[in-house]
Amino acid sequence: MSWSGLLATLRPRAVAKDEDGTEPDPRFTFANERTFLAWSRTALALVVAGLGIVQLLPPFPGVPIGRHLLGVPLIVLGAMLAVVAYAEWVRNQRALRRGGPLPRSIMPWILAATIAGMAVVSAVVLLASALR
Amino acid sequence: MTQPEPAAGRPPQDDDPEERTPGLARERTSLAWTRTAISFAALGGVVLKVNVITGLIILAIAPLVWELGRMSRIGSPQTGLPAVGATRFRVITASIVAVSLLSLLVALLGPATHGALR
Repeated sequence: MSWSGLLATLRPRAVAKDEDGTEPDPRFTFANERTFLAWSRTALALVVAGLGIVQLLPPFPGVPIGRHLLGVPLIVLGAMLAVVAYAEWVRNQRALRRGGPLPRSIMPWILAATIAGMAVVSAVVLLASALR
Repeated sequence: MTQPEPAAGRPPQDDDPEERTPGLARERTSLAWTRTAISFAALGGVVLKVNVITGLIILAIAPLVWELGRMSRIGSPQTGLPAVGATRFRVITASIVAVSLLSLLVALLGPATHGALR
């Protein structure tokens, strides 16, 4: 599917007027909604964490950009996670309507990879700070 | 031995009693919306300490989110099913992206209160 085709499927009207399939069991609709909200709160938590690191932590001695190196990627990830959560909600809702298998989620992979990456960066910043 | 998974959109046969009642699912979803609104308010409170205007903007989003959550409590009058409007989810997504951009600006340009967590 082309990028413009993919974006067209994510438009609110495209989901609301999805006439392929039937209205799913409301419990699944609610569960999909709650999953979206849980990912949204995770995104907000990442933004808070990033902002807290940059604004509230004391500077790392010898690593002047240390706090920005740790905080800014978390804020960017928060924004990215919110967008992916919406795309996943659309895909899941469409699968529920059509009674098909639920698509595999990439969100846990994104989150795990970023947390692992941030742990490595944190260790490097702390070591560099301690060695100076 | 594992049980076969039901197809998407079809109710499982012998699940948790709490899962059987759509009313409880609606209640849990309503609480999830409330938690999300509180999360916005908490973030607004944090940013308020750093930048008053940005904090107030984020705080103003919290009641909007709570109001959007009320829509899922009301439901569709024709079917009694939740009024699933993708626009609601798009508003939340756009709000988080906007809040992230504001936070990024505050983080990069705003005055820092270094050592507040010391």
